[in-house]
Order: sequence, then C-alpha cells, then structure tokens
Amino acid sequence: MTLSKKEISILIEIAFSILFALIFLPYFYRNQETVFVFSEVIGIVTRIIIFSVVYFSITYSLLEFNYKRTITEDERCDMINSKSYKLGYLLYEFSLLIFIGTLINSSIHQNGRIIFLILVLLLIISIIKSSYQFYLHRTF
Amino acid sequence: MVLKNTLKEFRQKKGYTQDELGKRVSVSRQTIISIERYRYKPSLELAMKIANELNVKIEKLFYFA
Repeated sequence: MTLSKKEISILIEIAFSILFALIFLPYFYRNQETVFVFSEVIGIVTRIIIFSVVYFSITYSLLEFNYKRTITEDERCDMINSKSYKLGYLLYEFSLLIFIGTLINSSIHQNGRIIFLILVLLLIISIIKSSYQFYLHRTF
Repeated sequence: MVLKNTLKEFRQKKGYTQDELGKRVSVSRQTIISIERYRYKPSLELAMKIANELNVKIEKLFYFA
C-alpha cells in the first residue's frame, strides 16, 4: 500500500493525538480532583508546547526529506476537508451539549475534572475527524 | 444515471501520465486517479480544463450511462 504525502501528514496528526493521550492524559486523569491554578499548570503546558513543536518539526522534516514534491491542494482536497471538518464540527456540537448536560446534572467543582473531560473529548473528536479524512483520501 | 468518462483513454492517446495531466490542470495525481475510477466527479471548471488540455469536447470526455 503506497501512501501519498497528504495521507502521511494525516497519519502524523492521528499519531500525535494518540501520543498526546498516552503521554499527557494520565497526568490530567490523576489530577481530576485538583483545582488547578495557572501557576501550577504552567509546567505541564510548557512540556506540551515543547513536545508539540519537537514532534511536528521532526515528523514534517522527515516527511519533506522523503517526499520532495509539494502537496497539491485541489478541489478534491477541499471537498474531503469540508466533509471531514463538517463531521468534526457536528461531533464538537454534540459533545458540547453532553458536556454542558453533565456539568448541570453533577456537582463537578474541580476544574481538573473539567480539563480532563474536555481533553478526552477533543482527542476523541480529533482522532475520528482525521481517521475519516484519511478514509476519504483512500477511497474517494 | 451515473456520470462516467473516457479520461483514461484520451489521456493515454495524448501520451500523458496521470501525474503529468494532474500538473497541467493543477490537481494532484490522486484526483486524476479518482476521476478515472468514477469515484470523484470534477467541477465544471476542472472538467473543462481537462477537456481543453486533451483537445477533446467535454461531452466526449464525460457522459451519463
């Protein structure tokens, strides 16, 4: 199975979401009962930013090194993007409603749990959106 | 009715690869592959660009079957 440069760049995004979940989510899971203040989370936020910059620098450099050609963004790409982003948008809306309902019906006072829930939702939606985008690129 | 095309036939007659034709009409090779396999229906603009590039009438290139 040969993959195009665009397809590999989508796989890089999916891999980032999975790595993020494996590396940083346990921290937020353990600290669900915590009431975070900005000065306490600055360390983890800095680590996330550094990880993101290093990860994308390395992966995209390797991609550029192996695939010299530039990605041609044409009308088919636009159509695939609009379909996958539409799905992502609908999932965001749906999950936001569920999230608000959960907040109203429960007594979550720790912002640690809220941050954890938001991160889980964002990661799940991001992985679904990118997987659908990848699927469309392969089949459409 | 399904929109079909004779793109592969006319492209090969002209001696273009999928990549070459894609570059000439500013789309990716994957888009040309998708059109040839009837998976993707191009916009009128792209269909006319392709027809123009291959020197063939658009109704000969795309047809309903």
